[in-house]
Amino acid sequence: MRDELNRTEDIVKKAKSLGADEVIARTTSGRYRQVRFSGNQVDTTVAWNDYVTDIALAWKKRVVAGQIHDFQDVEGNVKKLISLAKVSAENPTFGGFAGGSFRYARSKADEKLRDLDNSTDYVFEGISAAEKEAGSKIDSGGILLTKFEDVYLASSQGPVGIDSRSAIEFSIRAFAEREASGHGVECSSTLKDFKPARAGAKAGEIAKMAKDPKIGDEGAYDVIFDPLIFGSSIGVWGGMVSAFSVMIQLSVFVDKLGKKVAPDFVTMRDNPAAYSLGNRVFDDEGVPTRENVFIDHGVLKMFLHNTSTAKIFKTETTGNAGLVFPGAWNLEMDAGDMSKEELFGEVKKGLYLTNTWYTRFQNYVKGDFSTIPRDGIFLVEKGKITKSLKDLRISDNALTMLGNIAGASKERQHVHWWGEADPPSLSPYVLIKNVNMTKSR
Amino acid sequence: MDEEIVDYALGYAQNKKVEYAEARAFNQVQDRLMLRNGILEAYLSAVDSGFCVRVIADGGIGFASSNRWTKDEAKEIVDLAFKYAKAAKRKEKLVFAEEKAVKTKWAVDQKKKIENVSPEERISTLVEINKALSSCGVKVPATMCQCTIDLISKYFVNSEGSEISSFVPKIGAYVFITVAEQGKTEQAYKQFGYSGGWEAFAEWDTADKLIHDAKVLKDVITKGKAVKPAKMDLICGSEVTGIAAHESCGHPMEADRILGREMSQAGRSFIFKGGPYWLGTRIGSEAVTVVDDPTVAHSYGYYAYDDEGVRARRRFLYKSGVVNEFLQNRETAARLDTRSNGSSRSMNYDREAIVRMANTFVLPGDLTEEELVEDVERGIFMKSFTEWNIDDKRFNQRYVGREAYLIENGELKYPVARPVIETTTPKFWSAVDAVSKKVEYDAATCGKGDPSQGAPVYTGGPCIRLREVYVR
Repeated sequence: MRDELNRTEDIVKKAKSLGADEVIARTTSGRYRQVRFSGNQVDTTVAWNDYVTDIALAWKKRVVAGQIHDFQDVEGNVKKLISLAKVSAENPTFGGFAGGSFRYARSKADEKLRDLDNSTDYVFEGISAAEKEAGSKIDSGGILLTKFEDVYLASSQGPVGIDSRSAIEFSIRAFAEREASGHGVECSSTLKDFKPARAGAKAGEIAKMAKDPKIGDEGAYDVIFDPLIFGSSIGVWGGMVSAFSVMIQLSVFVDKLGKKVAPDFVTMRDNPAAYSLGNRVFDDEGVPTRENVFIDHGVLKMFLHNTSTAKIFKTETTGNAGLVFPGAWNLEMDAGDMSKEELFGEVKKGLYLTNTWYTRFQNYVKGDFSTIPRDGIFLVEKGKITKSLKDLRISDNALTMLGNIAGASKERQHVHWWGEADPPSLSPYVLIKNVNMTKSR
Repeated sequence: MDEEIVDYALGYAQNKKVEYAEARAFNQVQDRLMLRNGILEAYLSAVDSGFCVRVIADGGIGFASSNRWTKDEAKEIVDLAFKYAKAAKRKEKLVFAEEKAVKTKWAVDQKKKIENVSPEERISTLVEINKALSSCGVKVPATMCQCTIDLISKYFVNSEGSEISSFVPKIGAYVFITVAEQGKTEQAYKQFGYSGGWEAFAEWDTADKLIHDAKVLKDVITKGKAVKPAKMDLICGSEVTGIAAHESCGHPMEADRILGREMSQAGRSFIFKGGPYWLGTRIGSEAVTVVDDPTVAHSYGYYAYDDEGVRARRRFLYKSGVVNEFLQNRETAARLDTRSNGSSRSMNYDREAIVRMANTFVLPGDLTEEELVEDVERGIFMKSFTEWNIDDKRFNQRYVGREAYLIENGELKYPVARPVIETTTPKFWSAVDAVSKKVEYDAATCGKGDPSQGAPVYTGGPCIRLREVYVR
């Protein structure tokens, strides 16, 4: 591993010697394996190995970035970037890369995932669990992805580090009927905590309950969000607390810093902890990552920063730097004080939504948007699921919904799937009041 | 890109017990520029290069890729792909639909070669767009302007004797603006795309289009009135026609979606065997013909051969209102007992080729835009959209107007603020009674695949008139 780090440091030295003011190089050696399945059978297994060095450098506040895939001519690649910087335009808001010498937490990546070569059996374990819940006629599809990355970072400003990042995630959607489906996910950074049967059982259970759905009615409902669909919601809010999102007005949190945006019991944070798919010990500037509570007891406390955005906002970096822009790694909502059953008990007449996709905004600053629940949609009456519904859409406002959170469960689940519940999150079941639902007419 | 390594990988794969093997190399010279409020945040420049191997063995498919250009690495990824194909242990063995071997080279020409355009000119082109916006008389407090340049070279060989080399330069631009008036904001984005050279910027008329949008947003804030919800006529401008064609015709006609192969991510389709809609079923009015056509010259979704070596051609998806032809690759075509129609695309060396759209649009009719409006007693002309979405079976969709006007007695009256049509696919396409002559295209990036593969496409069409649909 030391050799890889030396090569990364050499790239930084080379760029400095060629005239760059500041340089960061990050080498990633990644190994990815994915099994894709549908109709309860494996469609294909995909393997990709990638070895790449990302470089970001600045010359007189001109910022350029690049990637080296072909290591035959590293010097040529670096020279090209320096030349580009010299003809590029100045970014007066560039605040430099993070400086300092840091001690990083030791990576807890699971070496078993580095060596895991064939994960097909886990897929069949998940499918079997779905079949056990909903019967052998169930039609399941999905993916199982394993990832192991070794990351070597060197910066001309001081930071140097090695990190390893491991992940395994299983996503299964099961159909009990053509329009009765359930979706389950199982996400972990370690093999020992990975239980694909849990995802399969959940997908099967929802699919079974979703049989014979009827078109739902429009109106305002009290809605229980399953952790999977809440993962989409917290992903939206988490994306909007990136300082860059605020700067380009892709956020409902413009001018909201220090203001009350949610009820007292709502606390949300970014936390790339060891358990999560987003685990990492340093950000892309080499700053140690940390927990960042951005909504503290309902008050918007902070935005997520890199060094440049922090300077613009007259604060400190939060360890959320990507090579160019800051972003969240792994979002969490603090657990509530109710059991899942107690949370359902709060609903006299409402809905239980299990998943969604296609969240689209009319105006990010105002927050008006819609999103389309998929998989199980259920009518809840007096705390019990009484009917399976379909073809409803949430047509509401992101800030209003945040303010209308009325309860959260003690139970939380680590969720992620595709681009819809992204970045990964630790999400409870959440009750949101007065959610506006519409349908096709 | 080392073609010798690719040939070596194919040869090595053919020495194993495979039913089929292919190797594909991909080299992408990338430039990315991003300006925030006219300031260049960063200039990204890179070359991404690698190769992949896909095999069918024992009726299973294995795929592996790498960016290390050595024969040892080639052997390793072939071994992996072969091992994974065998591990599938499928009950139903997969095969590919028959195709003839093709040996060819193809390329897209450039009038003004991108390679000859200096970084300074690239930057200043974007800066000028921003300057034009900031002096257009509308308060635009935030802009984000991105430009993507990709020079894509591919080399494809398979065990049936195909050998295809290609070169496609692609340019894209994406601009997002926020307009503020009277303490309120409205937002819009516009995307541009082209296969060809730097002449794209002159053809796009980017600054004028964005100034138009800024003025429209100002009018929506200062003059826009809410629509009184009711059934009425709706004229969709080409941008709205295009998104509807893409979302509620193109996507549900993807054969892999119909067969369930994308069920967990991109979803399934309301079209399925034994269901209410299948080939030959009416889905829209006689006026509606939607095609997907990769051969539109210089289009964002242009290609001459797909990533399985199948020659591209126009596909008639909905023909005179009838479900006519699915988008097929060789795997889906075999499962549906037909032939591929060249719809297999991959966005990089480390992504498998899957069924994709190219340029999806409604074919023109014979009326002028004015004639469409003249015949409306009361309705809405929705020229462009802001929020939109559709469910994963591609049945329930919603489009919210960005630039929209009330029509009364055949005349445009005043701007309407965010009118909404939320309806089903058959209701939408069955309500179309007339189509205008002029087809216009918009660039878009179509999302599909896991890991995601954003595919450059055109959406588009003429203006279409829908009778008696519910607008709110």
